[in-house]
Amino acid sequence: MTAAISIDRVSKRFPLAGSSEGVLALSDLSLGIGTGEFVAVLGPSGCGKSTLLRLVAALEQPTGGTVSVAGEPPGQVSANHALGVAFQDHALLPWLTVHDNIALPFKIAGRRADEAAITRLIDLVGLSRFTTARPRQLSGGMRQRASIARALVLEPEVLLLDEPFGALDAVTRRQMNVELQRIWSARQITTMLITHSVDEALFLADRVVVMSGRPGRILCEVAVPFARPRDPLVMRSQDFHRMVDDLTAALETQEGST
Amino acid sequence: MRAGTRNFLLGTLGIGLFLASWETIGQLKLAGISWPPLSAVLEMMADDNRWPLFRRALGATLEETALGYVWGTGAGLGLAALAHLLPPLRRGSDRLAAVLNSVPSIALGPIFLVLLSRESTPAAVSSIHVFFIVFVSVSSGLQRATAAHRDLFAVLGADRLKRFWRLELPAAMPALVSGLRLAWPAALIGAIIGEWFGAPRGLGILIINAMQNFQIVLLWCAVLLAVGSSLLIYGLLTLLERAAYARFG
Repeated sequence: MTAAISIDRVSKRFPLAGSSEGVLALSDLSLGIGTGEFVAVLGPSGCGKSTLLRLVAALEQPTGGTVSVAGEPPGQVSANHALGVAFQDHALLPWLTVHDNIALPFKIAGRRADEAAITRLIDLVGLSRFTTARPRQLSGGMRQRASIARALVLEPEVLLLDEPFGALDAVTRRQMNVELQRIWSARQITTMLITHSVDEALFLADRVVVMSGRPGRILCEVAVPFARPRDPLVMRSQDFHRMVDDLTAALETQEGST
Repeated sequence: MRAGTRNFLLGTLGIGLFLASWETIGQLKLAGISWPPLSAVLEMMADDNRWPLFRRALGATLEETALGYVWGTGAGLGLAALAHLLPPLRRGSDRLAAVLNSVPSIALGPIFLVLLSRESTPAAVSSIHVFFIVFVSVSSGLQRATAAHRDLFAVLGADRLKRFWRLELPAAMPALVSGLRLAWPAALIGAIIGEWFGAPRGLGILIINAMQNFQIVLLWCAVLLAVGSSLLIYGLLTLLERAAYARFG
């Protein structure tokens, strides 16, 4: 099986004023994500996990090593309009309605908007009463739902989520996790989620990858055993708590050593 | 809302005081005979026999201003968009705009007079004023799209033109409309200056004639017409600006 996302011995160095070496954000990092797999990348802030996602999104170029999506360089996949993305900043266009924001990827790809697909997605993310609303009229959680619907509307080959719920309060965040789990179960698109929340990673992902701090490396990987679709009650189980504790400990030793 | 009411009351009070002192200074001839009381000016403004003259002058000036406004806006918007889409042009166009702006319009007038005609000089001077303001505001407006929006368009595979039409231009709308609002008074000044180079009619001509014939009240009427029409359109453009910020901001 070819990996949907393949990150092979990648390093990334950013230039830094007054330093000839710059800053090494990622060092010799390899990670493969299989087709239809949901992988969460967990790490302390500043460990380069967002840089990793930006490499896959073709927003940055690696200094060394190769990144490929379905066997192609990310820039090619992006030019084919086959990437879906949601950031911590919802990045909805303030002058467009919810419907038009979700239809935007069709416009950018130069394709006719598939109204049936848009309606289905709007229903799926629970915004059917707000299709003509503008982003400023929505709550933070609703904006992120619209942003996720927009990421899914072209049925991308891979879905890239960079802390999409990072700016939400704890209660809304948990609700959004439950919803994303439901939405994802309906599609099962290859997904890479960047997060610093252990609960979020464990509840959503098939596999959790823990990164070490500067320069970013992979510290350990954990397969998540819970069956899908996942009931929110899974978060109260003994196994879940034990895994949360283990991963938190792994993160803490990491943060202590740097 | 209470602060709004207070501002409104203070504003009205300020304008009232201004008008009252205008009248008092005029009545008591505190500033000499070239300062007529407001009532005398308003009396002449209300005189029906004067209106054919006023209408002709105001109509000519507004027409020139509107023409200069449209041409200047088109040129400013066009050059700003072109320079944005073709980065090698950026530096040159910035310089061109700066140079044009640093030449006083009073010096440009004679050149237009030679190049064009007496009739089209007011609109030409007016369009130069508008061009610079619109060029500067659109140029900066086109840079206003947020980093997150740019990232989104990049990931979705948008080419430069798609990004321009669907992201950068809408994001520049508030800046464009702010520029349009500021450009109107500048356009009117440009038209009036342009008229001084020998236009057949207009508020500028009325001002010059009244001044040379020492018709002080008529002079003030012409100034009042210029200011009044400018403020009215400025107010309408302010409403448009608010709408643009609500929609695109």
